[in-house]
Amino acid sequence: MKGIRGISQLSRRFHAAARSGQSLAQPLAGLKVSPGAAHSHQDVHVTKLPSGLVIASLENYSPTSKIGVFVKAGCRYETPDNLGVTHLLRLASSLTTKGASSLKICRGVEAVGGSLSVTSSRENMVYTVDCLRDDIDTVMEYLINVTTAQEFRPWEVSDLTPRVKVDKAQAAQSAQIGVIEGLHEVAFKRGLCNSLYCPDHMVGNIQSDHLHHFVQNNFKSARMALVGLGVDHTVLTQVGEQFLNIRGGAGTTGAKAQFRGGDLRLLNTGSLVHSAVVSQSAVAGSAEALAFGVLQHLLGTGPHVKRGSSSSKLMKGVSKATVDPFDVSAFNAGYSDSGLFGVYTISQAAAAGDVIKAAVGEVKAVAGGAVTAADLTQAKAQLKAQFLMSLETSEGLLEAMGTQALADGSYRTSEEICKDIDNVSLSDVASAAKKFVSGKKAMASSGNLIKTPFVDEV
Amino acid sequence: MASRAPAQAGKFLVGIRKWYYGMCGFNKMGLMRDDTIYEDSDVKEALKRLPEHMYNDRMFRMKRAMDLSMKMQILPKDQWTKYEEEVNYLTPYLEEVIRERKEREEWMKK
Repeated sequence: MKGIRGISQLSRRFHAAARSGQSLAQPLAGLKVSPGAAHSHQDVHVTKLPSGLVIASLENYSPTSKIGVFVKAGCRYETPDNLGVTHLLRLASSLTTKGASSLKICRGVEAVGGSLSVTSSRENMVYTVDCLRDDIDTVMEYLINVTTAQEFRPWEVSDLTPRVKVDKAQAAQSAQIGVIEGLHEVAFKRGLCNSLYCPDHMVGNIQSDHLHHFVQNNFKSARMALVGLGVDHTVLTQVGEQFLNIRGGAGTTGAKAQFRGGDLRLLNTGSLVHSAVVSQSAVAGSAEALAFGVLQHLLGTGPHVKRGSSSSKLMKGVSKATVDPFDVSAFNAGYSDSGLFGVYTISQAAAAGDVIKAAVGEVKAVAGGAVTAADLTQAKAQLKAQFLMSLETSEGLLEAMGTQALADGSYRTSEEICKDIDNVSLSDVASAAKKFVSGKKAMASSGNLIKTPFVDEV
Repeated sequence: MASRAPAQAGKFLVGIRKWYYGMCGFNKMGLMRDDTIYEDSDVKEALKRLPEHMYNDRMFRMKRAMDLSMKMQILPKDQWTKYEEEVNYLTPYLEEVIRERKEREEWMKK
């Protein structure tokens, strides 16, 4: 009798065992929620597959979905033989693939009201699709095709040359782009010095083979992250397992960032001088990088009231040096193995020297300890507000999830990061400022440089 | 070209094909079959996609043929294009262009 009772309990035990395997971090499968009931809040889920592919998703119950494929294949992985290949790759997103023709991709995405876009930074390439939640399957198919089944037909690739020229011409209109690209060129040796834009000598010389070769070497599963907003994590994981487990191995390792410093002067007839003076800062995501983030806001990132004035340290300091109109802000860029921090100034040609020296002088003052606790609290509040506001847009959130998934294979919540920002002390900020003051400098300027100092004179 | 004459077709069929190929006459001017396709918009698009060396070879054969035609001559027999050497170099590109056009027309109907 006892034995029989034992057996009757067995099934219940199995049931318990089956249940214990399921994470309670997400709602139980098959759980019926009545239509009026509020959806339960969900966290970001991150799964790392054996192939190294990272899948991160957040179910936000939005009627639209946004899915991105992040690949560690930014322009820093270009070599001298294929400089500019990522610019072409950015434009090649709608070319014919093995699974869908160029026309089908365009019309198909159009038909469901979606959008497909490609952006690239020095570190990553990001393919993103947006669509209504019901059309995920259709649009995902195009996304997979575009990222894993490229054909790069020679005649379609050569048709991209005029578009490369248009992109370059548009970029040339902006002094900021010229200065920032030039700044990276002088700041780093190899890798990070590569431009986001195809250099002149490679325009029209990048062939289908270059693209294939770059994709073969860089689009590896271990260097990809599939990130989704408004999708079910299990669905996304299945997609990742099925379609993005394409190439094993680590692929080409980019050249490690080496700061070199120097001066780049882009002479032209513009009446304004754009100039950036930077030195090496910290690796993105580190505690030191947060100190630089706080320092950036301490010095000032621009007016917080539209068309209003700014009371930032940089603004105040520079306004003592000149009566001409000017703009100045702190510049901060982080990369996976290096970073740049400095000041960016826009001034009249005649006042450029005074403005740049006054701006650098302000950072020296901070390094010397001219910071009050109230300044620090304000800077932290600004940094936190900027960070949290950036996560409010779906683009910002997707990018934050994707870059973290690629870099660390995990996701840190905004609460944790805000806590870390709170922990930044006055001495951290001062030592960050000292690092800028004492560090080797890189400088790029554009405009009429008659009064602009050279890097060793700053 | 071997692939145009599958084994099942038998020797007899191949014979007929060879005879017909000879009767067409373009081979006597050193042309290939794909050189003689009428250049409509599909063919023009396919020509754009030809790899450069294939395009140059085609141009050479055409110029030679025009020269011969003007002089009312044909090539010496050892320079005729042989049935076995015939390559449909343009056909894959042309088929692709036609497929793309049909796909576009399908979308236009919707």
